[in-house]
Amino acid sequence: MPILKKVTENKILRQAFFIAILLGVWQYIVSTGNYSELILPNLRSIWTALVDSISTGEMGERTAYSLYLIGKALAIGSGLALILTALAMLSPLFADFVKTITTIFNPLPGVALLPIALLWFGIGENSILLILVHSIIWPLILNATTGFRSVSRTQLEVGRNLGLRGLKLVSSVMVPSAFPYILTGFKISWSNSWRSLVAAEMIFGASGGQGGLGWLIYQKRFFLQTPYVFAALFVIILIGILVENVIFAQIEKWTIQRWGMIIQKEK
Amino acid sequence: MADKVLIENLFVKFEGEQGNIQALEDISFSVKEGEFLTILGPSGCGKSTLIRSIAGFQKPEKGRILLGKRQVHEPGPDRIMVFQEFDQLFPWKTVKSNITYALKVNGKGKEERERMAAHYLEMVNLQDFGGAFPHQLSGGMKQRAAIARSLALNPEILLMDEPFGSLDAQTRAVLQSELVRLWQKVGSTIIFITHNIQEAILLGDRVMVMSSAPGRIKDIVDVNIARPRLPETPEFMALWHTLYGLLETKRFGENGKNNTMPGKD
Ligand SMILES: Nc1ncnc2c1ncn2[C@@H]1O[C@H](COP(=O)(O)OP(=O)(O)OP(=O)(O)O)[C@@H](O)[C@H]1O
Ligand SMILES: [Mg+2]
Repeated sequence: MPILKKVTENKILRQAFFIAILLGVWQYIVSTGNYSELILPNLRSIWTALVDSISTGEMGERTAYSLYLIGKALAIGSGLALILTALAMLSPLFADFVKTITTIFNPLPGVALLPIALLWFGIGENSILLILVHSIIWPLILNATTGFRSVSRTQLEVGRNLGLRGLKLVSSVMVPSAFPYILTGFKISWSNSWRSLVAAEMIFGASGGQGGLGWLIYQKRFFLQTPYVFAALFVIILIGILVENVIFAQIEKWTIQRWGMIIQKEK
Repeated sequence: MADKVLIENLFVKFEGEQGNIQALEDISFSVKEGEFLTILGPSGCGKSTLIRSIAGFQKPEKGRILLGKRQVHEPGPDRIMVFQEFDQLFPWKTVKSNITYALKVNGKGKEERERMAAHYLEMVNLQDFGGAFPHQLSGGMKQRAAIARSLALNPEILLMDEPFGSLDAQTRAVLQSELVRLWQKVGSTIIFITHNIQEAILLGDRVMVMSSAPGRIKDIVDVNIARPRLPETPEFMALWHTLYGLLETKRFGENGKNNTMPGKD
């Protein structure tokens, strides 16, 4: 069959095909009528909820707030990671210190810091930020450090031979050379913090009328508006896919793939 | 002329788990300003270690290296090195920006950078690959690009570690004569490592022969042959045999295949 062949050959079509099957199964189970709308809503009601929450601006607002928080945390986290890694490279003693705290904190899930964050900052943006920065900073430091250690000796020497020293050597040779590791660090940081964010928001709720997607889910569940819960989950998945499979993939293509630092991905 | 590079009783030792390696033992020699010195020696005799010490990458165990009155402590753009390794281009820059970037770091203006890059890329016959990234080039092409970069910088001292080792005979011959022409024009001091006896004679004012384990200077031979030099002449052949003999007497084996008789390479 030509259509079947086309579907099995194209990656995007193939994935769309699997998604269609999953949705079909979902709709079939709903149509048996064994489950209440409150537990397993109709695909059509989820769609209506999604369209409704978008048109009222609620979904956009919540999403924007979540993205704002994570953007702020990424800025703070990568800034701190940069400073700590740079200082660690200048002083072996400080390097030991950074290594120790990274070893201690990296295995700790962000959400586990919730009680502490509450004690320190109370309910609000700062508590969530603390958790997010925590889930961003350690994987970044870990990967950047490994990356800096794997910089080609020859390239480092070429840089020094040209007269580059100190920060200039770091930014012009070490950072681009370690870029595959740094990018991996950012990928892990993103996925850690995105997951922590949703979890933290659900537990913290909103502060001063503001809240993100996690808060939206919590709220809608409270009012038993199940289709809206699923609509929010859908948006969370969509953003995850967009960032991980589109934005990061594109950065990878422009940098380390173009530079021949990783093997070209197959179609 | 005055000594440009003076090396006094240089010792270099590597400490490793399988014991220490005395890479260089009591090396003393000097290179005059504007001189072309070639270095021959069996693999592992310490040629790279020596040139890396002069470049400032390798700390000596004992002894010192003087550039005029100044002692070498760290690398600098007055001594540009062409490395033996194939990964000496920055992979995140195109072939051309590898050159223009090096020039930029050394304070050259935009227009001059472009002109020099184009000129030297053409010299090494890579004019069509300026926009390519290093990973798209063959090993020999990468070496040529690195040579172009080092020549464009026009340093006082040029340190070249087997720069033509991976090139075919024709390309090698072209680059040999280009290098000599450029050297005669700008008068830089060149220290050049090779495995090839013929190349050592063709290029050098003097040829230094090293022996291994530990790395020592076996002899330094003057090349009293007028340039341009032709391998077929009797004086060339005689020197070739002298050098071959110097290399052969001790631990010479794996390099034999690189050294065909003069005129056959
Ligand atoms: N970084 C290092 N650590 C330990 N030992 C080293 C190091 N670099 C070189 N050596 C040792 O020093 C000796 C000289 O090495 P070197 O690279 O200078 O030889 P070479 O004459 O350049 O050889 P080739 O012609 O094969 O390039 C060798 O025995 C080598 O094993
Ligand atoms: Mg060597």
